[in-house]
Amino acid sequence: MADLTISTTVAAAPVSRQRGPAKSRFSLGGTAIWIVLFLLIVAPVGCFLILAVSPHVFQQGSQWFTLTFIHQAFEGYTGQGIFNSLWVSSLVSFLAVSTATTLAWLVHRTNIGARRLWSVSMWLLLLMPTWMMTLGWTDLLQPYGAAHAMGLNTNWLYGEFFGPLGIIIVLTSSALPFAYFIVSAGMQGLGPEFEDAARIHGAGRTRTFATVLPIIAPALLSAIAISFAETMSDFGVAFTLGYHAHFPLATYTLFSAISNFPANFSVAAVIAVVLILLTIPPIALQSVVMRRSKSYAVLSGRTRAPRRREFGRRSRYLASAGVGLVVFVGLGVPIIGALIGSFVQNLGDDSGAGVHFTLSYYAQVIHPSIVDNGLASPLLLSNQLGLVVASGTGVMAIILARRLVANHGGWSQRITDIFLLGSVAVPGVVLGVGYIFFYNLSFITHHVVDIYKTLPLLMLGLVASALPGQTRFMAGPVSQLQPSLSEAARVHGATRFRTWRTTNMPLMSRVLVWGWLLTFTKTISELAISQILYPPSQEPASVTIQSYLANFQSGTGTAMTVLTLVEMFGVIGLALGIYRLVTPEGWRRTGWSVVN
Amino acid sequence: MHDSHLPEPVGVVLEQLRKEFGEKVALDGVDLTIEPGSFVVLLGPSGSGKTTLLRCVAGIERPSSGVITINDVCVAGPRTFVQPEKRKTAMVFQDYALWPHLTVRKNIAFPLASSSRLKERRDQRVDDLLERVGIAHLASRYPNELSGGEQQRVALARALAADVGLILFDEPLSNLDADRREQLRIEIATLTREAGATAIYITHDQSEAFALADRVGVLNHGSLVQFDTPENIYRHPKNAFVTRFTGVAGECPILAAKAMDDGYFDVSLPFAPLHFFRALGVDCHGDVSSLHFFVRASGVLLNAPGGDEGVCGEVIDVAFNGRGYEHVVKVDDRMVLTKVFSVRRFERNAKVKVSFDPSACFVMPAQRSKG
Repeated sequence: MADLTISTTVAAAPVSRQRGPAKSRFSLGGTAIWIVLFLLIVAPVGCFLILAVSPHVFQQGSQWFTLTFIHQAFEGYTGQGIFNSLWVSSLVSFLAVSTATTLAWLVHRTNIGARRLWSVSMWLLLLMPTWMMTLGWTDLLQPYGAAHAMGLNTNWLYGEFFGPLGIIIVLTSSALPFAYFIVSAGMQGLGPEFEDAARIHGAGRTRTFATVLPIIAPALLSAIAISFAETMSDFGVAFTLGYHAHFPLATYTLFSAISNFPANFSVAAVIAVVLILLTIPPIALQSVVMRRSKSYAVLSGRTRAPRRREFGRRSRYLASAGVGLVVFVGLGVPIIGALIGSFVQNLGDDSGAGVHFTLSYYAQVIHPSIVDNGLASPLLLSNQLGLVVASGTGVMAIILARRLVANHGGWSQRITDIFLLGSVAVPGVVLGVGYIFFYNLSFITHHVVDIYKTLPLLMLGLVASALPGQTRFMAGPVSQLQPSLSEAARVHGATRFRTWRTTNMPLMSRVLVWGWLLTFTKTISELAISQILYPPSQEPASVTIQSYLANFQSGTGTAMTVLTLVEMFGVIGLALGIYRLVTPEGWRRTGWSVVN
Repeated sequence: MHDSHLPEPVGVVLEQLRKEFGEKVALDGVDLTIEPGSFVVLLGPSGSGKTTLLRCVAGIERPSSGVITINDVCVAGPRTFVQPEKRKTAMVFQDYALWPHLTVRKNIAFPLASSSRLKERRDQRVDDLLERVGIAHLASRYPNELSGGEQQRVALARALAADVGLILFDEPLSNLDADRREQLRIEIATLTREAGATAIYITHDQSEAFALADRVGVLNHGSLVQFDTPENIYRHPKNAFVTRFTGVAGECPILAAKAMDDGYFDVSLPFAPLHFFRALGVDCHGDVSSLHFFVRASGVLLNAPGGDEGVCGEVIDVAFNGRGYEHVVKVDDRMVLTKVFSVRRFERNAKVKVSFDPSACFVMPAQRSKG
């Protein structure tokens, strides 16, 4: 999950928690957090990465130092994977940011219709895993597939889709919401006074645009960096579409390096290093840009609401249709494809049997004959994992986010910041492979903890994967909480706990709920770490679905996908409904909002 | 109408209070005794340490050293630090610090939640306060639906609701326009005194300080330079910093000074070397070249040219302020007088005679370093 820059209705610009630099001092809490993070992420990933040049360190080969595996990784299939990942990610980040900027401008700065719907659609798109998108597209476009059943000839597109084009469409759709939210936040802080000042001082439309654009340049650069990093790290498309289209991507070649026999951890480590090295620069650049862009300080209590450009009726319809088309391609097509794939019999069958409506796939999912191997147990397990991981990550993320924005300048904060920045750049597949390697080391199993091939290891992996992104997600709203609100509560007699309960929690409640839901749904649909770390006979839903799809039971697999999706969105609806029912009105009026 | 039982006002004593932020010394050994029930205003420029001092008293900041005693109880010392919620204080914040998710009524009721009163009494108390600060009609609104002045009234009511013996004010009027500032200043003075609490109020505005305070403390670079009544601060400033910060029309170096028996000096100034001006001497021990002549705006009198009294000057600007006119008068390249009041208007470029009231003139070392 990426670093989403988000705005809030809580007043004004971030305020320093403590005036002036404090003395660096030892902090027990900071040290404890750092130890946990070290065991959770740094140690497993670090030990795994060492194998790239020194396999003998962990008895994975005879060499203490070698460059052989670097040569191997850049040759043949794995080399092709690295090359493909690089150019696809570059192109996708460009496409996603261009589209997202246009969308954000239309939604936030014009009077097009259904603006809330488009913002909510971006959230749904954010929750949709790439392997589900791929599945929907495949069901729609395959020969004698859903489109064919609707009388559309899409054979010409099918071949194209199973190649770079399809991969780029799905990955662009996936990166779109990240770019959209970042650019939207930048655009919303851009009050009309900047445009007005340029126009009043004689600038035409073009010069005004050129003058104002640099103000949101940090947001655009951030969006490019995050889109690139997200695309490089994606495993869902690489594992499904990339594999079937014989278009290798780095995350899949890494996975196959350790899943083939004999496993080649050293080549996998080289690919992991390359993935991380390619992802760190844009993330670091984004961080630097965001820090420097504070001087722009466009968000203040005095910034007026942006003025919307008033389209005429025709332009308004055209613009709305354009946005609708993008949302349809990103969200509608996969959902429609998956729905049809799960309700229509003989899809993809060229025997002339004819297609017809059926509930048999859904019946099979819950049929006693396959119930032991059906969806119920995996989905229950995924929900349990989601519950534990989202709650655990939520608590840790809020603690880390508070440290991150505390601005006390101590070593602990600096290390946490660098660490979180680096961790966002570690793809899930690298983390997963790092875990199976690290937690299977005899030193660890004999002297530290023996959780190899167990559910706790999968849980830890999922927490480690979600934590950096979730922390940076929380950091924005946390930084916008004015310290004086807590201080006022303390001065007026509230204890620390009452201060948190009555002032901070209500203001953070929406971001806490959405952060929890985001991690919960992402955990249920997570594929990379689940595929690598699931214990024998305890498959999470995403792994079960993949095994059905891979074993030519695509109807059942698709029905499972739809049920999982429905369950995910059901939980979101239920949680938001409960939140609405049980929280006071004031909680819902203030703070971070999902629809800005 | 308000509660019959007023809080007992409390005294506050600061002893050698020091606060450092890394290398920066925000408070440098402040000693201060505040009598119970008094309204003390701490006056100083940005960075003088006044906010830090207030936050230390509130318990939001922990002093690096020194002792704070509230109502004879040590709340901060070498081995003591009482948490803010235990100090029985209330505070009005510069940015209001109203909780945006709570209505006006709930914001005001917040300090009462831990009180032992019955709910009906608490509600009654909130109703009284809403009436007293004139926002009863806004009780169910949220802070973002209020103007700046209304928000500050809520913050004031919340502080009064606490029924504590010490109320702290952190530049509460700085975000308001001039009209509202004047109106709220009067309300703060009235309601706080009615409440019977001791008040510590910080500001960088000397007119606000003089209007509100029983006693004013002037801070500079983390040190308390002078602590006295507003009248004494104005009439007997301790040094050049206090004089300048509490308002001068002009200053210039002196050529010569002769001490008189009554504490006054006769000084000659560069623009009128043969003329002697009388001024109150303050700390005039050093070399005469280090001394400056200062005159308050209230001590400058303007007259039409022609008479024998005073020195010649030229009006370079004039502004109407409702009661009369404020002039800027150039006496010499080294002496331009500002805010010179007269009920009569003197036009720009007009020649005038300028005379000085000795009781509003001072001669003292001109030091610009630490006060």
